[in-house]
Amino acid sequence: MTSALIIVWRESVEAILVIAILYAWLRNNDARAGLRWLGYGVAAGLAVAAMLGAAMVALHASFEWFQALILFAAALLIVQMVGWMREHGRTLKRELESGAHKALVSGNFAGLALLAAIAVAREGAETVLFLYGLVVEQSGSGLAAVGAGAALGLIAAIATFWLLSSGARWMSWPTFFRVSEALLLVFASALVVGGVDRLLDMGVLLAEAPHWDSAWLIDDARGVGNVLQQFAGYRARPDTYELGAWLGYWLLAFGWLNRARLLKHA
Amino acid sequence: MAVQAQELHTVTVTLRDGKLIPPTLEVPAHTRFKIVIRNEGRGPAEFESRSLRKEKVLAPGATSFVVVAPLKPGTYDMFDEFHEKTATGTIVAR
Repeated sequence: MTSALIIVWRESVEAILVIAILYAWLRNNDARAGLRWLGYGVAAGLAVAAMLGAAMVALHASFEWFQALILFAAALLIVQMVGWMREHGRTLKRELESGAHKALVSGNFAGLALLAAIAVAREGAETVLFLYGLVVEQSGSGLAAVGAGAALGLIAAIATFWLLSSGARWMSWPTFFRVSEALLLVFASALVVGGVDRLLDMGVLLAEAPHWDSAWLIDDARGVGNVLQQFAGYRARPDTYELGAWLGYWLLAFGWLNRARLLKHA
Repeated sequence: MAVQAQELHTVTVTLRDGKLIPPTLEVPAHTRFKIVIRNEGRGPAEFESRSLRKEKVLAPGATSFVVVAPLKPGTYDMFDEFHEKTATGTIVAR
């Protein structure tokens, strides 16, 4: 029962983080249209997760390429979204009210919906398979117990969403904005390193032995280190590709987000 | 990708309804290798190794693999996350 709870909660927490931040941001800007797009995105993500899970069962497939590339796509969308939020964070409300830049705004709402959909679909397929397994393998009281665990996991996920989005209320808005921007960018770095790991798993990239081992200090297999691994791309034993992806990501993201300033000085 | 992967030293583990078969995989140390993972159970399974940072979700009947970078001699964990209570094993590199 507890493992069902943990699996359902853990698989959804990343998507919840992303969606809660977007939700709080849109709500603060009174962007009703944006909230609707966010809802579409979540719904589409759930549908894709269900379809992906069903396709994996029906075709006995794992869709490795898809699972790798979707990570890079999500990271790209996050950086793009942070850039947009930065530029329009203060003025979105006014722009929406005056109808200015309507095409630009709705274009970015579509991007926002896509990001939400990817966030949900990515880990959602795994949850779908896990829940399918419960139904196939368990019966009677066993099924009831793991079913209850899964339901509690879902409740814990919703509670997490609620906590995160009410966090937006007790933090001052500029603080929340800075914190959530940093969280999203850090999380995108984890997605990029995770995508590289998938390519390494597939043998598309071939890594040599790791450059160092900092597991004695922070072990990425458990506790804080595991959270850092999942959300910040931390690796206790990084190889050249993981290291290069992490550094390359930060260089590109920083450069792109500050391109106006950098170009002025150039 | 397939060409390079096929030349690798390969070991196979089968996940079957909460069992890892065999429970111990022996692999050469300091050598890249490939673990072929089959799910022969009725339901889905998730092969996972925390110490190797590998995760692979498999529908029933699915076969996949992960390539592992050269390891130092030692013992590494593996388990089926969807059947964590019963399906645990070790990978021994020597």
